[in-house]
Amino acid sequence: MPTPWPRSNSQPKVLPPRPLRLLGGAVIAMAVALLVVLVLWSIASAAYGQPETAAPLPDVAHLLRMSAIQAALSTVLSLLVGTALAWSLNRLRFAGRNLVIALFASAIVTPGLIVAFGLLTVWGRSGWINAIANVLFHTSIDTPIFGLGGILAAHVILDAAFAARILLARLDAIPSTRLKTGQGLALTPAKRFATIDWPALRGTMPGLAAIIFLLAFTSFPIVLLLGGGPANQTLEVAIYSAVRLDFNLHGAVILALAQIGFCSIIILAASAFAPIPSTLGPSAGQRWADRGFAKAVQWTVLLACIIGFALPLLAVLAGGFSSNLPALFARPSFPSALATSLAIGTLSALLTLVLALGLGSARAATLRPLARIGLAAPAYAYLAVPAVVLALGFFLLVRTMGIEPATAGPAVVILGNALLSLPFAIATLGPPLEAVASGQGKLIRSLGLSGWQQFVRVEWPLLGREIGVVLALAFCFSLGDLGVISFFGTQDFSTLPLLLVRALGAYRTDDAAIVAAVMLVITVAAFTALPQFFARWSDAQA
Amino acid sequence: MLRLEGIRFAYAPEALPYRFDMVAQPGEISAVMGASGAGKSTLLDLIAGFLLPQAGSMTLDGVDLLPLQPEDRPVSLLFQSNTLFEHLSAENNVALGLPRPTRRKDAGPLIAAALAEVGLAGIGKQRAATLSGGQKQRVALARTLLRNKPVLLLDEPFSALDDETRVAARDLVRNLTRAHDWTTILVSHHTEDVQALATCRYRIAAGVLLPEGNTAA
Repeated sequence: MPTPWPRSNSQPKVLPPRPLRLLGGAVIAMAVALLVVLVLWSIASAAYGQPETAAPLPDVAHLLRMSAIQAALSTVLSLLVGTALAWSLNRLRFAGRNLVIALFASAIVTPGLIVAFGLLTVWGRSGWINAIANVLFHTSIDTPIFGLGGILAAHVILDAAFAARILLARLDAIPSTRLKTGQGLALTPAKRFATIDWPALRGTMPGLAAIIFLLAFTSFPIVLLLGGGPANQTLEVAIYSAVRLDFNLHGAVILALAQIGFCSIIILAASAFAPIPSTLGPSAGQRWADRGFAKAVQWTVLLACIIGFALPLLAVLAGGFSSNLPALFARPSFPSALATSLAIGTLSALLTLVLALGLGSARAATLRPLARIGLAAPAYAYLAVPAVVLALGFFLLVRTMGIEPATAGPAVVILGNALLSLPFAIATLGPPLEAVASGQGKLIRSLGLSGWQQFVRVEWPLLGREIGVVLALAFCFSLGDLGVISFFGTQDFSTLPLLLVRALGAYRTDDAAIVAAVMLVITVAAFTALPQFFARWSDAQA
Repeated sequence: MLRLEGIRFAYAPEALPYRFDMVAQPGEISAVMGASGAGKSTLLDLIAGFLLPQAGSMTLDGVDLLPLQPEDRPVSLLFQSNTLFEHLSAENNVALGLPRPTRRKDAGPLIAAALAEVGLAGIGKQRAATLSGGQKQRVALARTLLRNKPVLLLDEPFSALDDETRVAARDLVRNLTRAHDWTTILVSHHTEDVQALATCRYRIAAGVLLPEGNTAA
């Protein structure tokens, strides 16, 4: 008698069964989803429940228009500058090239607050440029640093460097055979860009544009510092102002809903585009330098970008370390904020890593499409909830629960920062975990490795660098966060960014310079050291 | 003795099922030949437990293998590639074959002995990615020694090797099979490998595994 079909699954069972990983991932995904729902529910219910104040309702249409205009301009300029910079870096070879590339790569974690402060130090009324102009020409230059010009400059510095790093990886990955063919055909630099470079870049452009637009649309500290008044206010800043300055919760909730709606549309649109590669692949190794005019243009672009990116950061360092550091240390507020920032950054980074590893390893352990979506979707939902909106949601939630915001502050700031870093952490850890499961799953199964052995012997030695990157990203994001802390900060509970903003508000620019310099040093140190440290540590276990 | 009786497997209901019947003896190498896509790897996946048949039985010395998960089957595998974890050292790759639990102080001598048996004494600290194709296969065989499973499945294990290394690797497989009384099944489309190693030959044609006759290798 024939055996009834099917007695078994006809697909090879190459993934090792990992029920504990799946359970852990499911618990994390449900907890993260529950938090999203609670935050959204808090905001939505507040929209109906909050009493209207005497403060006028914000002009949502104007704020949306303003946010969209500055984000669109930032995106176009960043992509233009980023493409030119990537093109130059791809062609030129010089001592310290890797250092320069690393400098531009660090843009992703450089706090916007630092760049904004650096721009003020260079271009502000009493900045470097005016000091030079005064000495040389006995006159001042009226630079439009406050307003749309300043906002665009800060966004382009950060986002063009980020774009350049991604696009450079695409150019470096062009197959050497294609370059050899082009070289054999003696293509001019312009023709080479059109026929070889642009086809390699254009697939990445829509996704990259969507990410930059989202970053600029939800930019908070840059607009807060350089916005220069209500005319250039964006939704993020308007939400902050409504809660912290006007005490208009009703208005803030309306703005938050508009913000979530618009961000969701952008994310949905972006998801239709090709994803941005999360890892930067190896260079094809083929070298084909341009000559003559093209080379001169490339050097000009590179030098202009280095000056544009590095000058504000150098200004921050110079300003900070020429100020009276011991005097600031003597005041209790600075050491306290420094310790709080470091503690929150560390705990937030560890929490991000645990959540991302839990979700990523569970997702890699199953082939069921619904389970895979369910494990990743809640974490990615936080892309649609910017820091200020998330903070507002938590703020309303803890008030609803009868908890004093100041009491919940430390836990909420740690959790909020971890959740905001989670999409980036999953994008970093997910692909290598999937690659281990699909590429080595058969070997792992045939050797009968347990889940713990799989992690210790296979994944940890392989993922050390990525784990370091996740910790560095989450730590730096948390260190530079102004969105969440601005809702929960008090006189007793303050972080470095909040201290910086307060110092600027009180016209203590020397204090602000020191805080900015310390933040920059910690950011660069963490971003450089953590991935290397974890790569070496895990490598030693191999 | 490994016995497959009336094993039927198809990847889809409408596809013609593979039909596998074979007997493999300990201390011998049974070779399975066939064109690319004939079903050679499917046969190994079935024996290793990565696929479950729709019908038939599979026993090793009378013990039913079909209820066992891949990690519980008395089987070691050697693929053409992806045999080692490239990021680990040779000795850490071999260590994955140690019976659990093995005390740390006992592990070193066991690993060293296994590497020596396959002719690779002294390369334990080298990263797998830096080893040659032949060395990788030997490291995988050293791990197989520690796992000490009675069945060894070889999926085109010599395909990526040059002629000289290939001969040495074949000799090693033959000697280890005899010394440890393994039931070895070699899947290959290289007639030379089969002629050099096989005591018993099969061919898959039109999805059916057919014996080709015995030789004294």
